Parts: sequence; C-alpha cells; structure tokens
Amino acid sequence: MMVLLQRFGRRGCEGLETLGRAGIFLIQASFGVPSPEGWRLWLRQMHFVGVLSLAIVMVSGLFIGMVLALQGYTILVDFGAEQALGQMVALSLLRELSPVVAALLFAGRAGSALTAEIGLMKATEQLTSMEMIGVDPLRRVVAPRLWAGFVALPLLTVGFSVVGIGGGYLVGVEWLGVFDGSFWGNMQASVDFWSDIGNGMVKSLVFALVVTWIAVFQGYDLIPTSEGISRATTRTVVYSSLVVLGLDFVLTAVMFGGLS
Amino acid sequence: MFDNFPGNLPMSDSPLVVVKDLHFSRGDMPIFRGVDMQIPRGKITAVMGPSGTGKTTLLKLIGGQLVPDAGQVLIDGHDVHALSRKALFVLRRRMGMLFQSGALFSDLDVYENVAFPLRVHTDLPDAMIRDVALMKLEAVGLRGARAMMPAELSGGMARRVALARAIALDPELVLYDEPFVGQDPISMGVLVQLIKRLNEALGLTAIVVSHDIKETLSIADYVYVIADGEVMAHGTPASLDVDDDPRVSQFVHGEPDGPVPFHYPAVDFVTDILATGAQR
Repeated sequence: MMVLLQRFGRRGCEGLETLGRAGIFLIQASFGVPSPEGWRLWLRQMHFVGVLSLAIVMVSGLFIGMVLALQGYTILVDFGAEQALGQMVALSLLRELSPVVAALLFAGRAGSALTAEIGLMKATEQLTSMEMIGVDPLRRVVAPRLWAGFVALPLLTVGFSVVGIGGGYLVGVEWLGVFDGSFWGNMQASVDFWSDIGNGMVKSLVFALVVTWIAVFQGYDLIPTSEGISRATTRTVVYSSLVVLGLDFVLTAVMFGGLS
Repeated sequence: MFDNFPGNLPMSDSPLVVVKDLHFSRGDMPIFRGVDMQIPRGKITAVMGPSGTGKTTLLKLIGGQLVPDAGQVLIDGHDVHALSRKALFVLRRRMGMLFQSGALFSDLDVYENVAFPLRVHTDLPDAMIRDVALMKLEAVGLRGARAMMPAELSGGMARRVALARAIALDPELVLYDEPFVGQDPISMGVLVQLIKRLNEALGLTAIVVSHDIKETLSIADYVYVIADGEVMAHGTPASLDVDDDPRVSQFVHGEPDGPVPFHYPAVDFVTDILATGAQR
C-alpha cells in the first residue's frame, strides 16, 4: 500500500515537474523580437505545418460537411424542418466540429512531424551544436514552429468550415433538393458573428497553442534515442487529442453552457 | 559598464580555461571526482584517457552544456555555469566545438552549414561570407563538396565540414572531440597539420580529446591524462613519454597488460561460463 502510494506520489511530482519545465520552455521560446531572419524561418514553417496540412484538412472538411448534411436531412425531414439544414450544418461546424476536428487532424499531421523533426535534431546533436555556435535553439528552432502552428491552425479551421459548409450545400441542396434560398437564408439569420464564429475561433486559437506547445515540447524534451523519438511522437498525438477534447468541453461550457 | 561582459577580448597570459575541483556524476555513477586543469592560452592541450572516462563529458562541461555537481569552469575568468543564458551564448561565440558525430544541420547543404555562424553572428555581405566559407572549406579539402547535403557525406567528410564550421568565426577556443576517428590516412595527416596550423597562425587555444596517441602527442603542447574520475598525470608529451607511473606508461605506449584493466569489471570468466541458470 505504502509502495503504491509512494509510486503515485512520485508520478505526481514528476508530472508537476514536467509541467513546470514545459511552462518555462513556452515562455523562453515565445518571447523575443522577431528578426528579418526570424520572419523567414516562420514563413518556412507556415508552409511546413500550414500549407502541407491543407489537403488533409480540406478533404476531411468536405466529407464531414457532406455527412452532416446527409444525417441532418434524414432527421429534419421527419419533422418537415429540412429548410433548417443550412443552419444546422453551419452551427455544428463553426461551434464544434471545425475547431475540434481540425485540431485533431493538425496534431496527427503537423504535431507528430514537429516532434519527430525536433527530436531527431536533438538525437543527432544538431541542437547542441547550435547552442555551441552561440545560437539559442529555442529562438531559432522552436519559436518559428510554435508561432507557425499558432497562426496556421486557426486559418485551417476557417478553411475547414468553408469547405464543410460547401459540402453540406452539395449534398443538401444539389443532391437532396433542399431549397437553396432557405439553406443560405436560415444560416444567415441564425449564425451570429461574435458568439458563433468568434467563439469558434477562440477555441481554435486555444487548441493551436496547446497542440503546438505539446508537439515542440515533446520533441525538445525527449530522450534522444530511436525509442525515445517514437514514444514522444505517440505522446504528442495522444496528449494533444485528449487535451483538445477536454478543453473543448470546458470552453463549450463557458461559451454556450450559460456559465459565462 | 561592459568591462566584464563575456564578449570582450582581453589580452593576458593567464590560462584561458581553468577547471577547479570539478565533480560530476550521472545518476549514482561518479564521472569526475575533483578534476583540476589549466588550459594555457594559445596552446594545444590534449585530454586523453581510456574509453568511458568522461572526456566528451568534460568538453560539454567546459562548453556549459552540462552543469557540474560541484566545482567551477572558468573561461577567461568567467564562471561558465554562473552566467545567464544570454551571457553564456555570447561567450560561446568565442568558442568552436567539433562534435564526434559532426552534428551538421541536416536541412542545410555543406556551404550553408559553414556559412551559418557567419550569417547569424556577423553583418558581412553575401560576397564576403562566400569568400570566408570557401576558404574554410578549402582548408579541409571539401570546397568541391559545397553543394552536397550532410546525408550524402561519409562520416569522415562530415567531421571535416564540421571542423570548417567550427572555425568559421575564427574562435579563440576550439574544442575538438575525437577529430581523427574514421579519417583515412591522408585526411588524418591533413587534419593533424590543420589543427597545428590554426593554432600557430591564429594563436587559438585548442583542447583535443582523442584516443589517437601518436597523432595527438605529435601536435600537443601539453597533455592531461584522466582516469577514474581524476587527473592521472599531466605534462608535456616528452615528460609523459618517460613517466614512471605504470598506468601512464601503459596508456601512452598502448600496452594491453598493465594496471589499467582492459575488461569492464565482471566476475571471473570461468565461473561465468560454467554458471547455470536463467541469468544472462
């Protein structure tokens, strides 16, 4: 019993220590005056984490919008309320599905790649040699990736919503025959810019910070062996997914659950 | 105001690096138990010793990548481990380090790897950066390989590119971690001469960690031999060659039998072989 308690306590202390280390890491990496070189590095990472994630995010958005319209139609038509399909698709996407699914896809596509890349740089002593040249890898390697992730995911989320609504339109209006005037009209009447689109974007910004933070920290803090890299990459995806889903509940409760 | 700033270049005859009563351990295993060293300015100092004695660890302690349990490392009077992160990075601009693995940046080609320190620490125009980078690559014999990526280089070539990068900014202090490993006889000879020439022409201070006794002793001005976490002997190559201590003699002359065991501590071989049971 005592042994179990001890083990539990040790794990707790280790967890707290890691959290503290990650906090200091975030502060050290995110502050600093961006130099012209810094902007160039940031742009390169925007391409790597943002542009290269476009395909998977957009295709997923299209199919999720299409499925949403299909499922929504079969239920709404029973109540003669299929004219509200546009409203249903738009609100589901903007408030929940776009920020959450885009963040999960981003963690799988870009987060794991960031962890593996930084981890491999650590394993091959590239980070150490950079330190010995007098360049801080937190500024040079981590900061551009952190800021690129923070900016790229909200933009991807916007793209996800647009394509998703487009997918909903294709299925609902073009295929199932919902009147397009009511599809767009109901959507326009019910979607509020600040409470729906704004809150969705706030969620996306929070997820972007958390997912990218987890990814770069796991890469920087891993044990520099092949097994260490493999474990850290897995941890990035698992932790990011759990934290995104958990935070989504908290944020939804605050934004839409009457707690605010 | 900036008198004590680590970026300054003082002129003096005092040792450039002073290691005082250094203690360091990994987990429960002690690596250093009170190491004292003085690395003279403008000279080549070799640090030698059997495998696993922590020679690379010593370089990492000097470079401030590891923090000792006790003791100090002073570079030009600055306590490396008491400096702020920013001041440590400023100090490191005066140092170059050659890593065992080369540690080249895998996303940059050979030329960009060598130009990297120049780009980040100087405001030189591109044309001048090109001249300096090509001069450094010429010195290591790899000017023709400038467009290659690190993944396309052999281990020996990667280390020569890393050497060109380490000396790109003409640092005051260069730390060489096993520079001769994996080199063919021709490039080995060139490297030995290059380290010597750099030291003579630019007056830079070098710390060479190496197993290659013959090559290292041929260029070293002073030698430290470390074993069992302590400095076993130190002196000029000539004085070590005639040292009476059997441990030093065994190491310097590469003799298999002597007080320094070849085998890692283990139970008797016969007992081990004849033992039955599940243990490996």
